[in-house]
Amino acid sequence: MLVPLSWLREFVPYQGTAQELGDRLTMLGLELEGITNPFAGLEPIVVGHVQQCGKHPEADKLSVCRVDVGNEVLDIVCGAPNVRQGLKVAVVKVGTTLPNGLTIKKATLRGAPSCGMICSEDELGLSDEHDGIMELPQHLTPGQPLLEALGLDTEVLDISITPNRGDCLSILGIARETALAFSLPLTLPEAKLVETDQPAADAVSIHIEAPELCPMYAARVLENAPSAKSPDWLRYRLHAAGVRAISNHVDVTNYIMLELGQPLHAFDLETVRGAAIHVRGADQDEKFTTLDNKTHTLNPADITIRDAERIVALGGVMGGLNSEITDKSSRVLLECARFNPSNIRRTARRLAQHSEASYRFERGVDQLNADYVLNRAASLMAELSGGTVRKGIVKAEPKPWQAPAITLRRQRAVDLLGVDMPTAFCESTLTTLGCRLQAGPAAQTANVACPEIWQVTPPSYRHDLACEADLIEELVRVYGVDNIPPVLPGIIKPLEDTGKPEPAHAFRTRIKHWACGLGLNEAVNYSFVSHKELDFLGQPAEGRISIMNPLSDEQNVLRTHLAAGLLQNLRTNIAQGANGVRLFEVATSFVAAPQTETTAQESTRLAVLLYGNRFDGAWPQTQAEHDYQDIKGIVEHLARHLHLPALSWKQETVAPWLAPGVGIYAGETCIGYAGRVKPALADAFHAKKPVWLAELFLDVLYTMHLTQRIRFAPMPTFPAVRRDITFMCPHGLEVGAVLACIQSQKLPLLADVKLIDLFEPKGGEERNLTFRLTFRHSEKTLQDAEVDKMRDMAVSRVCKELGVRV
Amino acid sequence: MNLIDQLNALVPAFEESLAKAHTLPQVEELQTAYLGRKGQLAGLMSRLPELTPQERPLFGKSANAVKERLQASMNARLATLNAAQEEAELARFDATLPGRAPWQGTLHPTTLVMEEICSVLTGLGFDVISGPEVETDFHCFEALNLPKDHPARDMQDTLYVTDSIVMRTHTSPMQVRAMLERKKPPLAVIAPGKVYRRDSDITHTPMFHQIEGLLVDKNVSLTHLRGILTAFVRQLFGKDMQVRFRPSFFPFTEPSIEVDISCILCGGKGHVGSTPCRVCKTTGWLEVLGCGMVDPAVFRAVGFDEECTGFAFGLGVERITMLKYGITDLRIFFENDLRFLSQFA
Repeated sequence: MLVPLSWLREFVPYQGTAQELGDRLTMLGLELEGITNPFAGLEPIVVGHVQQCGKHPEADKLSVCRVDVGNEVLDIVCGAPNVRQGLKVAVVKVGTTLPNGLTIKKATLRGAPSCGMICSEDELGLSDEHDGIMELPQHLTPGQPLLEALGLDTEVLDISITPNRGDCLSILGIARETALAFSLPLTLPEAKLVETDQPAADAVSIHIEAPELCPMYAARVLENAPSAKSPDWLRYRLHAAGVRAISNHVDVTNYIMLELGQPLHAFDLETVRGAAIHVRGADQDEKFTTLDNKTHTLNPADITIRDAERIVALGGVMGGLNSEITDKSSRVLLECARFNPSNIRRTARRLAQHSEASYRFERGVDQLNADYVLNRAASLMAELSGGTVRKGIVKAEPKPWQAPAITLRRQRAVDLLGVDMPTAFCESTLTTLGCRLQAGPAAQTANVACPEIWQVTPPSYRHDLACEADLIEELVRVYGVDNIPPVLPGIIKPLEDTGKPEPAHAFRTRIKHWACGLGLNEAVNYSFVSHKELDFLGQPAEGRISIMNPLSDEQNVLRTHLAAGLLQNLRTNIAQGANGVRLFEVATSFVAAPQTETTAQESTRLAVLLYGNRFDGAWPQTQAEHDYQDIKGIVEHLARHLHLPALSWKQETVAPWLAPGVGIYAGETCIGYAGRVKPALADAFHAKKPVWLAELFLDVLYTMHLTQRIRFAPMPTFPAVRRDITFMCPHGLEVGAVLACIQSQKLPLLADVKLIDLFEPKGGEERNLTFRLTFRHSEKTLQDAEVDKMRDMAVSRVCKELGVRV
Repeated sequence: MNLIDQLNALVPAFEESLAKAHTLPQVEELQTAYLGRKGQLAGLMSRLPELTPQERPLFGKSANAVKERLQASMNARLATLNAAQEEAELARFDATLPGRAPWQGTLHPTTLVMEEICSVLTGLGFDVISGPEVETDFHCFEALNLPKDHPARDMQDTLYVTDSIVMRTHTSPMQVRAMLERKKPPLAVIAPGKVYRRDSDITHTPMFHQIEGLLVDKNVSLTHLRGILTAFVRQLFGKDMQVRFRPSFFPFTEPSIEVDISCILCGGKGHVGSTPCRVCKTTGWLEVLGCGMVDPAVFRAVGFDEECTGFAFGLGVERITMLKYGITDLRIFFENDLRFLSQFA
């Protein structure tokens, strides 16, 4: 909301600075966004008096002028057709730069010297008017700065108005708050209305057929009021408030809307057929062309203003092309109404026809102020056009304004705010805000006047005051929210809240710390990716959740897995010259689940991406690239960290972008998958080296982890005996198969078996796998002979079952 | 020279040779020559039968003494040489060689700040809860006093999944979920998480993080809200941090407050030296969060007694993170460039 300070001062005698006012309003909840000068750059422009004006001897269209600018008389060559002797004009002197960037220099035009320029409005950025120079009022003094001479609004406050304060979308509204802030009187401009004897009701009748859409519709009628250009003061003021001037009648409707907050609409009464106005919802699929020449298809929720035959305006949103004010209009029907805010909002949104008017109707206007608004607007229109105003206001008001009666308990205010709110303060504050107060509880409960309880009737412009809490907010707003002292509360918790398992959020945080400790860098990616990316990775289309109104095609679907984001990050980092990348992310993945409350199944995942060098390559770390053992080792480390049982790893199809892909299982439960990104896909992310990915289902791990308990096992008393054995195994025989074969024998004294060496002779058909078998007896020291016997048993079984050699 | 004299003569000879031995192998050579199985001492000892039975005890005693003496001398020499070698090794040691450090892991700055905030608030008695990011219109708007066709819906540009399912625009639906689940006060929860808006420019990203706070109990007042927030801000930014309350509007709180803190860069002065502060634009204040007393309409929507008292607040994590670390561009948060990430070790 742009508020020219000088306009505001017509309502309230505020003498302080704009900054001071803005700061104070900010602390009342009307936040100052900035202070601007719409006429910035015009400071050096002065009033000039054209003393002489003659034709340029060499050019037909140029005039040579002698212009008095107060302290000197300048020779200026002017090309405007309307320049003439005796005119008061706006002059730019040599050396000045205009708002449009033009710097005025001393020049010679076809032999005639020119020391300055006489300006048009266009050149000063005041309007688009460039047909001629500005003609200033005769009473101005040469040399006077133009800004001062015209009394322009050079200080404009930009105030951000929250959606609840529709009443502040006007100079009047801001003036009310200013009066409140500085204890100043509020004065409304007088509407000097002169009416003719002809009743307005003879010219038009109003019929509201849908009171729920329109509780009140009022109008005045002007006759012999020709459309014309508005006077300068009006045009410049609208300019200061950010509105383009059009013609007197339209400008007055805008001016009054900005001033009093009530949108108005002016119809050319000649075009209103049958001298009648009807208000109702549109017919289904009814067509209507608004004055911006757009044709819309309407529905019954759209409020239409109609004459006897057709729609003439889309109520509260925009007028019609068929009834708008034109250059030829001279009979004006001036509308002032209140419409249902929800309908206005829906229509404006659906048709993308947001306007200053719809913005205000959505937030609610003051129904009780309609007569004053009409009187002020009509008098101004009559004054500017020389027209006359018919007698009376034609009005239909099927639903008169009914203010809510709100019970306010002083004690409730004290409880909610935590500070004392004395009775006198409550009463004076609410009264100043325009509320009517009646002491005592609601009539039906008691008759006795009670000073601690009031029945409060808020003013008709404060639609945001609807319940007790709203009134308490007003009290503290005036008290000053910043005067509320800080008090640390003791938070009381029910005993039932204790003894609960670790919250999921804490678990996820712990996982992040584990990953960080392991040397992974945490990434955070957007939850949306593009269908294109998912297609590229081979993700099936079913189960995806699309965004209806994405910002771009890059973000039009929710991620079903975390790989896509991490691969993008890999690309970013490779582009920055990274040789090794170790990223992790803990985030939600989304899969469609139409039967659920939110239609989405959200699961938390941990994803790890390893790429390129295992270390940064500097001494003393050895040069090596990440491989399967790295990604697997990280997952195994996590499993131990969470006390999970041993994991099993199965090469299988896990994700279309991984080959090999490996399913990871804890017992029968799949906890995630790992694998290498297919080189052809990785290539698209500029990854020339292997990219290893693991994606784990954190919700599953969380549930499993909750049931795991650490149990202490006594340390063994007797020493272990180890035997190493090397099998020559054909390629394709998995290490896991050998381990399983040994373990399946359930040798009673075998405490552990693990692979300790792997050697692949070049070009061979086999690889040598060395296992270490650890034997231990809990009650005695083992003899070599018995250990050897067991080893031999294990070995011969492996050789026999798997067909390998020792 | 009798045998005993010969024995005793070994000592000065050995010691003289030892003194000339400067390396461990030289010492070992001497050890073999004197103390070895075929060494001089053993040679003399083997001549024991030459002595009379009366002479033998004295010879034996002398031989032991000489052996001990030789041993001791040798050990002393060895110790000296070892010490010298250790010293030489220490002199060669280079403490400035780089270490074999594991890769440096890092947490994302929003994680760091979110955790710090959560830890301050859990310390004050709040429990952490989490919930869905895809939300129903009811939880995200309706129950929070944001009916359809209400202008306040303009305050947040929403990403829709369907007409009635949205990407949550704030963490406030967690208030609704927490109260629906709990059914009655008291309740003290915070809900950190991702939120989504249809907005993207230098100061907005379509996804960011918020932390919601909610306290509902008997006799909770605005002073308590200010107390909690003051404690929180001081913990995060230091004891001298000032907190300013400003009236504002949120549909789900009444009264609604916007909270400013003194500017991190200029300390609230509005200027750094003589230049206008670029962080607070000379106001001396930075807007950090919105809050207020829970609107009775919200209590009504979740079936709580309207006479309950409670406050709620919601703060943007990225905003606080930018202030805390002096980050000026919001978008780099989600690019995951290691040159950015690695700074938060």
